[in-house]
Amino acid sequence: MRIAERLRRLQISAGAAVAVLLYVLMYLVYAANESGVLSQFGITNLLNDTVVLAVAAAGLTLTVLTAEFDLSGIGVIAIANVVVATTSAGPAGWLVSLFGVLAIGAAVGLLNGWLVGVLRMQSLAVTIGTMIACEGVALLILAAPGGQVADSIANGLTGDLLGLPVAALIILGVLLLWFLLAVTRLGIALYAVGTDETAARLSGLAVRRTKLLAFVLAGMAYGLAGYMLSAQTGSGDPRASDGFLLFMYASVAIGGTSLMGGRGGVFGSVIGAGILTVMQKMLFALGAASFYTDVFSGLIMLVAILIGTLPRVMPRLRRSVA
Amino acid sequence: MAPRVTAATTEPSSEGQSTPPIHRRINPELVPGLMVLVCAIVLIAASKLMNPGAGFTQELAAVLGTSIFLVVASFGQGLTILLGGIDLSIGVVIGIAAMMISVLTDGRDATLPWAVPVTLAVGAAIGVVNGVGIALAKVPPFIMTLASGITFYGAGLGFTSGLAQEPVAPALERLMNGHWFGVPIPIFLIIAFVIAATVFQNGTSVGRKLYAIGSSPGAARVLGLPIGGLTVLAYTLSGLCAAIAGLFLAGYSSAATLDMGGPLLLPTIAAVVIGGASVMGGRGIYLGTFAGALFLSALETIITVLSLSQGLRDIIEGAIIVGALLAQGERWNWFRR
Repeated sequence: MRIAERLRRLQISAGAAVAVLLYVLMYLVYAANESGVLSQFGITNLLNDTVVLAVAAAGLTLTVLTAEFDLSGIGVIAIANVVVATTSAGPAGWLVSLFGVLAIGAAVGLLNGWLVGVLRMQSLAVTIGTMIACEGVALLILAAPGGQVADSIANGLTGDLLGLPVAALIILGVLLLWFLLAVTRLGIALYAVGTDETAARLSGLAVRRTKLLAFVLAGMAYGLAGYMLSAQTGSGDPRASDGFLLFMYASVAIGGTSLMGGRGGVFGSVIGAGILTVMQKMLFALGAASFYTDVFSGLIMLVAILIGTLPRVMPRLRRSVA
Repeated sequence: MAPRVTAATTEPSSEGQSTPPIHRRINPELVPGLMVLVCAIVLIAASKLMNPGAGFTQELAAVLGTSIFLVVASFGQGLTILLGGIDLSIGVVIGIAAMMISVLTDGRDATLPWAVPVTLAVGAAIGVVNGVGIALAKVPPFIMTLASGITFYGAGLGFTSGLAQEPVAPALERLMNGHWFGVPIPIFLIIAFVIAATVFQNGTSVGRKLYAIGSSPGAARVLGLPIGGLTVLAYTLSGLCAAIAGLFLAGYSSAATLDMGGPLLLPTIAAVVIGGASVMGGRGIYLGTFAGALFLSALETIITVLSLSQGLRDIIEGAIIVGALLAQGERWNWFRR
């Protein structure tokens, strides 16, 4: 099997390859301008800052692959954050609250998936509704920032385990699950449904169930992202995730996943989240004013998209010349 | 509603009949809008019941007055969605326009004659950037407008160096808070805007070409329509409308922040979709979007009147948005049969 074929099998698109290059480049600039980046502490720190966005973007990717929108992610993250902050330090403990937020994410995903996949409503607008409702639920649970995240979560998940940063293990775990999913029937169905829904239905794929499951899995990923966010902040804030949405989509887009569906993958989105995080740190290390971060986020997104589309445009160009 | 369902389901086809049933004589494009409009009026009436002190007209004036930002901004959003695109930079453009007008006027009316055109031109220019990126560089609209929004937000932050508030020209405040013949001035502005927008979208050849591109880009290309130019035009108008909304918002709140447009972005999308448009493009009219914007503004106003916690308000708002979309979906199904 040729290497390109293997890469295709792993759903690593050209866009993702560009993203990896960008990441390495920025990481090197960052490491050259800041001391201690390459130390164990520096790496753990960077991964801790990456993991929330990476996991959330990984979930979002599943729905994007089926050519649907999912804006409810920040709502689920908000609920998960306040649930962990109100329960984990009590009798529930870290394990019960973990399963709790995963279940909440799955429930919201089920609702989204039912509305979009089964009732065939427009996902862009429906998930705005569920997102607002979820933020309301988060505010009901915890009206103002506060609460207490159990030490086992706040310290345990931000440190190292067996010499490896826990954040790295979680990102690797998510990627492993993704690579397993990608070779199952469901994984292939995600791409098929996103590429051409009618064709997928005609060839006997369960389009409704595929979309439903995509939303459920995405919801669980948001729940996990909220759990990791709680570990980071150590407390609850129903508004903590408000600014995440655009960056979740930015991660997916930078990672080479097409918002038209059917192309891309979770691997790229995780790298996209890494790029956005390391970029902030790089600019800070270079002494740039903070608003440059926004300017660069936007420009890098465009550059990544433009380079990512080149391989698809090139053959057409060559053909038109010939 | 129930009798209509049976009418639609029991009649196999109305094509052979000389007089089609009532629900087929109404332009189907108009139905979602009408229905949402009825819902908005019901909402406003309900708020009167809950708050008997205020009169119906008073309540109506309050809802209409505060809906102007959404009404104006969602027209631009509607045009881009009509093309099968989207404009995620609207919130940022509103904030930039509000900041610009307050920085440029600095609380003096004398500077308005040049400050207003400059502000509107900047909004339109951001729209041009979006349109060129989408039409020429073939960047997907979602990405292009998201990226330009983030970029221009950063630029705005750099220019204003984080300054939060500035005084706004008093004339602009009077425009947004004043009355003519006892009616708030924004209502006159809304009426004028809705007429102009409807005429543009549904009464001009440019508007019809936008529908053509949205419903079938391939056919539009074969027909020789200037797709690139019209795409740039749609995004330019979207930027312009967002800038107008920003001017109004700055005048209304007598102050400006760069973030003030953010909360309006998602409602513009919701208004367009609730109004009966498809995010795939080619469907929906501005009156529907207008009704959707009124509905969302009324909802916001009424929920604020209820003395509920913010959490409960959000839950109700989200549920009603989903409910409105659900009702919309049913409607479409009846009419497709």
